[in-house]
Amino acid sequence: MLDVQDLHAFYGASHVVQGISFNVAQGEAVALVGRNGVGKTSTLKSLMGMETRTRGTIALEGTPLMGMASHVRAGRGLGYVPEERAVFPQMSVEENIRIGALLHRATNQKGVLDRAYDLFPILRERRTQLAGTLSGGQQKMLALARGIALQPKLLLVDEPTEGLMPANVELITHALLTATQQGMTVLVVDSSFDLLRTLCSRLYAMDRGVLVGTFAPADFSSPDELAATMLGETRE
Amino acid sequence: MLNQVILQLLNGLVVGASLALVAAGLALLFGVLHIINFAQGDFFMMGGYAVWFTLNLTHNYVAAMVIGTLAIAIVGGLLLTAVIWPLLQRSQVLVLLATLGLSLILQQGATNVLGGDTKLVTPPLTLPVPIGPVLYPAYDLVVIAVGMGILVLGYFFLRYTRYGIWLRAVAQNRPMAAALGVPVPRVYILAFMVSSGLAAMAGGLLLPLQSVYPTIGNDVIADAFIIVVAGGLGNFRGAAIVALLVGEFQALGQLIPGIKPSVLTLILFGLVIILLMVRAQRQHSLVRL
Repeated sequence: MLDVQDLHAFYGASHVVQGISFNVAQGEAVALVGRNGVGKTSTLKSLMGMETRTRGTIALEGTPLMGMASHVRAGRGLGYVPEERAVFPQMSVEENIRIGALLHRATNQKGVLDRAYDLFPILRERRTQLAGTLSGGQQKMLALARGIALQPKLLLVDEPTEGLMPANVELITHALLTATQQGMTVLVVDSSFDLLRTLCSRLYAMDRGVLVGTFAPADFSSPDELAATMLGETRE
Repeated sequence: MLNQVILQLLNGLVVGASLALVAAGLALLFGVLHIINFAQGDFFMMGGYAVWFTLNLTHNYVAAMVIGTLAIAIVGGLLLTAVIWPLLQRSQVLVLLATLGLSLILQQGATNVLGGDTKLVTPPLTLPVPIGPVLYPAYDLVVIAVGMGILVLGYFFLRYTRYGIWLRAVAQNRPMAAALGVPVPRVYILAFMVSSGLAAMAGGLLLPLQSVYPTIGNDVIADAFIIVVAGGLGNFRGAAIVALLVGEFQALGQLIPGIKPSVLTLILFGLVIILLMVRAQRQHSLVRL
């Protein structure tokens, strides 16, 4: 599904991603793990075409994406749920979901809305509310629901559970799990042990802009073990 | 006295409706691109000339308005795209200077090609219409109706249509809108065209009332900036409402004995400054309804 070769990304004078190569198979959920600032978010942004200075090869189902604008990549089947609460604050919940849905035919637009509301019914109750007035957790749910409901071939999800209370982490994990069970491919950046163990088949560990190992969630028996890996204590 | 008040109220609506078209385009452009377009008044001027030129060819005012507005919407959209697009990722100062340069080029170009004299046409409708105790020119009422109608349509366009929703999304978070698949370049070009077209329509509508000459844009842009700043930069509805208020202020102010128009303008500037000082500082760089 996704094949990345020798990907580099630069942020100002910093060389934040230094030649990483990895792949994600159809229907698989894979995670990038590592400390803050090691290049995980930059990797996702590079895949989505949101980093201006990148080089390397990115192929989605064999189609090269490098050089394409973000909206073209979205049209080719990439979805993106960013780390920050990237809702459109002055627009209603329903308008937030419709932004992407408007690319579809009218008959499919209702399907997008229904899928988003089925994932998180609270959004249906608040569909006329301005997104900027939702709680932090609800904004995360809206951003994720919007991403999943558009049914991209590959969904890039950045820190979906960061800063959320355990009940909401469970909801988010369940939503992503349901999406993968329905055939969606997911590349996620997150540090929640429960989410990684429940959702992912492989974990790529990053440190200082490079990949330092590939693990299975079962390799870690506790959050502490995972945290140790994320802090750069890579294991043999 | 009542007749005078009604007359000036109507005059205020005429001025306000046309100013609102110019200012709404300015606000729309700021909301999407976060730039202030100094050439907006010159698209007003170009609209006047385009309608004057087309009218001489077709002798049909409605056709001249439609063709003239569409022509300047397309030309203006292309000009702004050519001038602004390469500078989008650069300093905003460069964009300001570029639109200022475009404004000077358009004014000088109009003078060289069309001459510095004023072009005037007679109103297509000259019948007076009784409104209460006063008889008011029918064409002036058409200007009010068309101006108001376009603003209402603009509101519904932003509120309900696909491109309206995308325009607001791009204004609020351009990278995220793109990541959701919104064709950002197309949205930008549309914003350029709509903005230029609104100014051109105002220029065409006012052609029979105040003529057109190469530097008329300078007279319009000052009021338009006041309106956009007072209405909230990027605030489409705010700009429209303030434009109507400014039109009424200028028209009704003339009823006060001994007050010159220049004094009214000074008072207006003072009121805007007070408004800006009093109003809480908020984020206005959004296209809002």
